[in-house]
Amino acid sequence: MSEHAIAEKSAGRLNDEMLSSLRPPTWRWYGLAFFLGAVVAWGLAAFTYQVMTDLSVTGLDRPVMWGIYIANFVFWVGLSHSGTMVSAILRLSQANWRRPILRAAEAMTVFSITVAGLFPVIHLGRNWVVYYFLPYPNQRGLWPNFRSALLWDATAITTYIIGSSLFLYLGMLPDLALVRDRTTGWKKKIFDVLAMGWRGTAREWVVFRQASILMAALIIPVAVSVHSIVAWDFAVTVVPGWHSTIFPPYFVIGAITSGVAAVITLMVIIRRVFHLEEYLTPLHFDNMGKLLLVICLLWAYAYFVEVQTTWYAHQPIEWEVFSFMSGKYTPLLILMLIGNAILPITALCFKKIRRSVKAMLVITILVNVGMFIERYLIIVPSLSHKNMPFIWGTYSPSWVELSVTAAAFAGFTLMYVLFAKFFPMVAVTDVRELGIRHADISLGRAKVHSISEEE
Amino acid sequence: MLGTFKDVETAARAVDGLIEAGFPEETITSLTSAPFPDGVIVKTDQRTWFRWMSVGGGMFGACAGFLLAAGTAYLYPVQTGDKPIIAYFPAGIITYELTMLFAILGAIGGMFLEMKLPPRKGRPYDPAVADGYIGISVSVPAGDLRNRAESIMKEAGALRTTSEEML
Repeated sequence: MSEHAIAEKSAGRLNDEMLSSLRPPTWRWYGLAFFLGAVVAWGLAAFTYQVMTDLSVTGLDRPVMWGIYIANFVFWVGLSHSGTMVSAILRLSQANWRRPILRAAEAMTVFSITVAGLFPVIHLGRNWVVYYFLPYPNQRGLWPNFRSALLWDATAITTYIIGSSLFLYLGMLPDLALVRDRTTGWKKKIFDVLAMGWRGTAREWVVFRQASILMAALIIPVAVSVHSIVAWDFAVTVVPGWHSTIFPPYFVIGAITSGVAAVITLMVIIRRVFHLEEYLTPLHFDNMGKLLLVICLLWAYAYFVEVQTTWYAHQPIEWEVFSFMSGKYTPLLILMLIGNAILPITALCFKKIRRSVKAMLVITILVNVGMFIERYLIIVPSLSHKNMPFIWGTYSPSWVELSVTAAAFAGFTLMYVLFAKFFPMVAVTDVRELGIRHADISLGRAKVHSISEEE
Repeated sequence: MLGTFKDVETAARAVDGLIEAGFPEETITSLTSAPFPDGVIVKTDQRTWFRWMSVGGGMFGACAGFLLAAGTAYLYPVQTGDKPIIAYFPAGIITYELTMLFAILGAIGGMFLEMKLPPRKGRPYDPAVADGYIGISVSVPAGDLRNRAESIMKEAGALRTTSEEML
């Protein structure tokens, strides 16, 4: 919807339209929630079976002791990366087209980092003593070894979950008050607490705006650090294929690629399901498409540099890992290159494709398929062909690991579906602010749209 | 005292009337469900102090992170070959993450403190604000001044007025 169209509508009507997702659930919603819940339950059962038996029910075995669980971990951390980051960058740059997409992006971060945080625990051989790595004085006389990258992950993910949840909450605060004033019964009581007594005084808005900018500035370095730390899990080892200085920026770029693609995918789904066609317009897909194009170019460049360095130096073990990966996993490698580079880079050059919602859905799903494969191809081939040829091996995930992976996707979707039913999916006050600031002014012979901005 | 107005023009007229009648501008504020540029309805002090809470939080986090990673390594030494007891790179990572975590917590905590939220007692509010109506609130003691403020608001086009006693 253009600024002009927003300005034409009354505040009440804008509220009605943008809060339409909060209407009572339909049988379709219950059906979807039940199906997703069933997949999550199946994954939980598979995980319980793993805990009751041992890691032999997975495909993990020497030398590949990191498998699809860690690929999941890296993938979900990556997905979480971009939601908050895109939102923060767009807030800081005061891009007006950001407004309808902020909430979808910020919520995505919170749910994907929650799923990501589960995987190191799922992956542990003895999950029931996971509390061993919490830093507290204990009778064992041991103190968590901060030299372990596992603890860097735990610290970074904790910071990111708290930070991105607060960032999401902060952005929602005025909208929570809006919902509070439009609901009754038990929902009103909950929103009364969540809105913290917000009234929208001029002073509250001043502090709120400054806090939003400060939080955006604080959350970006946290997001970058989280994925750099995940990359260091790999890069600080001496495993061939991992021990590379480019890994942290390469991981960050990959994370932004998958995150931006996932935000677009969610925009398509939310737009269709909640009939938000007037608010999530082709302009938003066009702009996000340009962003994705740039990030995919960066990713392709980083991947090329990584491979080119390995190829030209031709260090035997490094080259062996790459040859093994490209030989044994050729179809996956090709699918990854198509999904992450060839398809998006060629297709997104065209405005017509960027503005086609269906095309963007297909492209962005393929980007994330490619990105999941990329995570898998980083982990498995390097561990399969480490420095000692007499323990080279292979890995393929078992039904337990695949069930847990399916449950992770279902769990993420379920959290999103529940969130969308109870909280506003569009940043209502942000969109309405645009209408307030919009005016048609006469310039020469024409009337032009203008948006007032403050320094 | 809170007056509810249908649009921004009538609300601005009420604010002008109140100021002309001698009500100090700092006692008048607007209640809106979307932010208006400063001065459109009321002028507000743009200075804030809550960011210092974020700075303080960050400094606390830096100390806590360093003590957690380096201090405890010193207290619970693990000798590994000829490597130093305190590993600076991991200590740097933990310090950085806790710095950012407490800076974020400081920013959010400070924001709520500066907004004085959640409030200790009920304050005048009209749920119609959610639907685009504008509230103009003026802090006046009960009596003649309040009656005067109410009449100015009604003259300017207030749909209704509410006072704290009515809550």
